[in-house]
Amino acid sequence: MSRDAWYGDDDGGSGRFVPLYVLVNGRTRTRNAGLDLATQVVALGANPQALEAEYQAVVRRCRTWTSVAEIAAHLRYPLTATKLFVDVLLEQGFLAVGSPAEETSTDLEVLEKILVRLQEL
Amino acid sequence: MKSVKVVVAGGFGTGKTTLVSAVSEIAPLTTEEVLTQASVGVDDLAGVKDKTTTTVAVDFGRITVNEDIVLYMFGTPGQDRFWFMWDELARGAIGAIVLVDTRRLDSSFAAIDYFERRRIPFVVASNMFFGERLYSEDEIRGALRLNPATPLVWCDARERDSSKQALIRLIRHTMSQLPTQAPSGR
Repeated sequence: MSRDAWYGDDDGGSGRFVPLYVLVNGRTRTRNAGLDLATQVVALGANPQALEAEYQAVVRRCRTWTSVAEIAAHLRYPLTATKLFVDVLLEQGFLAVGSPAEETSTDLEVLEKILVRLQEL
Repeated sequence: MKSVKVVVAGGFGTGKTTLVSAVSEIAPLTTEEVLTQASVGVDDLAGVKDKTTTTVAVDFGRITVNEDIVLYMFGTPGQDRFWFMWDELARGAIGAIVLVDTRRLDSSFAAIDYFERRRIPFVVASNMFFGERLYSEDEIRGALRLNPATPLVWCDARERDSSKQALIRLIRHTMSQLPTQAPSGR
């Protein structure tokens, strides 16, 4: 298991002063190539307690399927940082990932289901 | 679990967030990207105050299609200069709705150009502020130099039904753009 999360003690008591690039260990782009803002992820049940607070918060947000954008909005994290957190958590087995938007964009069956749903709205 | 993305674009003040809220099942959420001069996004900082940062906000909503599919609608940032953000939003999108305000058509040129160049299916929705139709369809098409194949719809972004019709038009348009497949079996 790679240690992408930082386990160091940094809590000064009055807020955190950890730049996000430290929390993602300098990672600047996701390794999971399909990950986009709409991709949904879900917690797999592993206890995240040993992780940094930001990572724990992400895992807790994912008790049910949740998109990267929703996680970012609810936790008020910048989008790119959220994507990187999710990427690390996927790699470490805390989260599972659904199909990225790219895989569904040309799926006629999916489009037909959307159409039916929209007509019911 | 499948995610589907629709981009809602248009110039500043054309009603993007209004349209998203009209059809979303949740109150639209806002998510932010923080930029510094040297980096894009990852260099945000809880605590470091001296850097020049810019915040780009993206509003979005969702419609649960069934237990397996969720449709997300992302509004583009109001300022056209954040193109990297558009790329992120457009990646994998099934299509886009470009909202236009007929009093300021030029504010939506950039969005139309963006989706045309990338061959992303889109419909143009003329937002009727106060129910007014100041120009005819031909006049708008001409002014925007729209490709005849690009649908133009009228909508009132405040109305759920009207916004829903714009979305439906987009889905149909996207379906018509798919390479033809055999109707059964894959």
